Amino acid sequence: MNTIGSSRNPRLAPCLASVLILVWSMYRADAAVEGAPEGTATPEAPVKPSIGEVLRLIDVGPYHVPPLPLITNQNYARSSADVEPFGAVKPFKEHFLTQMEYTGPGRAIPEPEHVESVKIGFLGPIMPTVSVATGGKSHEEVLGIAMLRGARLAIEQANAQGGYHRRKIPFELVVRNDNGLWGASGNEIVSMAYKDHVWAILGTIDGANTHIAIRVALKAELPMMTTGDLDPTYIETNIPWVFRNISDDRQQNYLLVDYLLRKLDYQRVAIIRSSNRYGRFGVREIRDGSRRLGRPVVIEMAYRVGETDFTMQLERIRESHPDAVIHWGNAIEGARVLNQMRAMGLRQPFLACDRCVSDEFVRLAGANADGVICTYPWNPTREDPKLEAFRKAFRERWGAESDTYAAHAYDGMNLFIWAIQTAGLNRAKIRDVLAHRPDPFPGVTGDIPLSAVLDDAGEVFLTRHENGQWRYYSRQDWEIPRGRVINTMRVEREQASAP
Amino acid sequence: MSIMKSLCVFPHSFGCPAALLALCLLPVRTLAGEPGPAASPADPGLPYVYTEWEHLTVKDGLPNDHIFAVKADGPRVWIGTENGFALYDTRTRKVRSWNEKDGLPWRVVAGIDVDRRTGEIWLALFGGGLARFSAGRFDHYHQLNSGLVNDVVYGVAVIGDEVWAATTAGASRYNTVKDKWDIYTEQNAPMEEIWNYGVSARDGKVFLAIWGSGILEFDLATERWKNYVDPDGEMEIDLYRDDGIPHVITTGVSYVDKILWASTYFGACRYDGRHWRGFFTHEGGTPSDFNNAARGRSAHECWYCTDKGVGAIVDFETDTWVVYRMDPDTHEGIAQIRRAGKILKTVRSPRGIPHNYALWADFDGNDVWVGTSKGLGWARGTDYYPRLKPASPQTTAANTSP
Repeated sequence: MNTIGSSRNPRLAPCLASVLILVWSMYRADAAVEGAPEGTATPEAPVKPSIGEVLRLIDVGPYHVPPLPLITNQNYARSSADVEPFGAVKPFKEHFLTQMEYTGPGRAIPEPEHVESVKIGFLGPIMPTVSVATGGKSHEEVLGIAMLRGARLAIEQANAQGGYHRRKIPFELVVRNDNGLWGASGNEIVSMAYKDHVWAILGTIDGANTHIAIRVALKAELPMMTTGDLDPTYIETNIPWVFRNISDDRQQNYLLVDYLLRKLDYQRVAIIRSSNRYGRFGVREIRDGSRRLGRPVVIEMAYRVGETDFTMQLERIRESHPDAVIHWGNAIEGARVLNQMRAMGLRQPFLACDRCVSDEFVRLAGANADGVICTYPWNPTREDPKLEAFRKAFRERWGAESDTYAAHAYDGMNLFIWAIQTAGLNRAKIRDVLAHRPDPFPGVTGDIPLSAVLDDAGEVFLTRHENGQWRYYSRQDWEIPRGRVINTMRVEREQASAP
Repeated sequence: MSIMKSLCVFPHSFGCPAALLALCLLPVRTLAGEPGPAASPADPGLPYVYTEWEHLTVKDGLPNDHIFAVKADGPRVWIGTENGFALYDTRTRKVRSWNEKDGLPWRVVAGIDVDRRTGEIWLALFGGGLARFSAGRFDHYHQLNSGLVNDVVYGVAVIGDEVWAATTAGASRYNTVKDKWDIYTEQNAPMEEIWNYGVSARDGKVFLAIWGSGILEFDLATERWKNYVDPDGEMEIDLYRDDGIPHVITTGVSYVDKILWASTYFGACRYDGRHWRGFFTHEGGTPSDFNNAARGRSAHECWYCTDKGVGAIVDFETDTWVVYRMDPDTHEGIAQIRRAGKILKTVRSPRGIPHNYALWADFDGNDVWVGTSKGLGWARGTDYYPRLKPASPQTTAANTSP
């Protein structure tokens, strides 16, 4: 178990630290035990250093790595045994079970003397553009603007409370458009890292552009958090600088598969999705999970973003006689697909990704929206004074209702603000306090526990459009079963994972 | 005492202190300069260990300590940093540096290659495009004035008349004689993703390490591509050790003596055209699975730059490694000779690599250059020998642990 680096104290201290951490690391962090109440699974260790202790430990010179205990999971992403890849074979190696370390010299960089504001970067699709990565004309501006508003609201509130407390200077949002054309997001991150000297970056939504951005963040050694990219592979990169505060499509896929196959016992599920990365990677665990459960997706059809006629795809789907149809793409195409399905007489249940939980989808789908079921990364209808206060503040500031992109950006930016207030102006230390925060961050979207890969390990939901509104259901609410989750690393099991 | 010292600085390298102690108490082999008795299958001998290290930092005139790239060209050593470009002359021991005020188009230099025929230096500028440094002048190639596909350039390689650039949105190929650019993306190459990370060119082949797309091989004679991806196709596991590259996210590639060495953040590997071999930390050779770069020296030797030191596999056939790290307390160099998962010997030296976060390596004859996030290391290998040399039982090396 690789849990610590070197200590700043010579000779004896590292040995003692190593023993202590070794003992700690043997205390497994997963709570995703078979039979544990849903939503309580947390990757946090029962005993973690307080934030004060973290700050003490990370006060090291350029050559030392602080002996911080690393989050260790026993099961990646709470995957049930019957959907684990190559379940009949014990893999040679498993990734993403132990938290990555940052071992560079960045912690020793002193806080700059002359700073007029604390800059935090924002990268999001806020202006129309032509995007190769997203398949033509950009289409995510609505989401990006909501994200920007949430982030800006957090900054403004922090400044109203005195800004950066140590220096009594304001936070400043450095805003860049996520232009997907020819990898331009990479250029923007470089610019923010080396010209604007931001301390952290929040962004973005498109999976391809986010991947480009995090590669730059790794080299520039800059914390980066996505609050709107649900691509599971974003976090599956082993970069110690990246975070996500929204539950990803893997978790939503798992819930959808469990609902359709385990609870409803459907045999034939069809997929129609956008041809871009969002659609391609968004359904991956549906496709793989269904196959591993012995009921492979009967057909998977793709369309270009912006498409208006889905006749060809839906005819093929009709010929496959599905029990249900899953759509993974934007709200506008989702509504069009649904309407054309119904017009063609296809009456199968229509299920979709969280992007279809939008006013635009409901408006376009009209009466067809009734009964549509979508996955969702959180429960926005739960009673929480923080959430109500956020909604009120958002409404007053922007004259509009907040959505999931705004709420998660608000949480993500508040996480950064908390980390900067706590760690000071040092990118490595900002990373450290985020990565080693002892308790889940209490966001307006709920508590945000981070897994070993610094991904949001919170609960996901299903939502159904009923009588003109979305109603949210947990796994327990609908008594959706899940497969057996084995809380032991696959490489340590007696047998391969398949039961 | 020194054995205990070695124990303490690498607490996470070993699962059990007792086992470690037992390993370190194994009979210490010597590093003799002269060949010893003939090696037997049970005693294949020991590798050369670099113990003479010099450091170059901002104190010596470097523009920045964060070394992204180094390219040795005889006595001239070109250095790419996070804030400038530099030349170190090993004869005069002087550093000359360039930054934007000196004409360098962009200060972050992520890759360097030398056109041996013209002496021109090509620079991969991280966020600034591509630059040619010739006769004291920088020529700047970027997205708006050339066929460079993106300005975030991670690596550059020169082969014949061509310059290849690995960018974050595809690869660009520039024929310097014909002034012709080609762009390779998912449209015309088997790139599942276009996020190029590293490039290596030799013997009529160009290899691209691509984040999310494994490794691509381009044959210059036939203009054909061949792709290598993780055979299991899964992000969260490596199904078999020796079935291909460990992960589809590759970070570095180095082609030498018809051997392909590759690095990822999930392990490393070697490919001889028929067989793959994976290298992973838990098997005891390399110090970390987080590999920033791979630099092959021969068919037998490759230096992997990791976040926990340098793992140099120095004799592939016997799975013999030398792991170079620095003691963060004393700044002494620590080299461990490892074979098949066992530590054969620990060698300490007054200096080692400048920092354990290693980013790049290059070879210059017997010498090695290692770029780290806190300075550049120059390992002098006066008596360097490749692979292994049978140990001489009656000699005691000066650089072994007392």
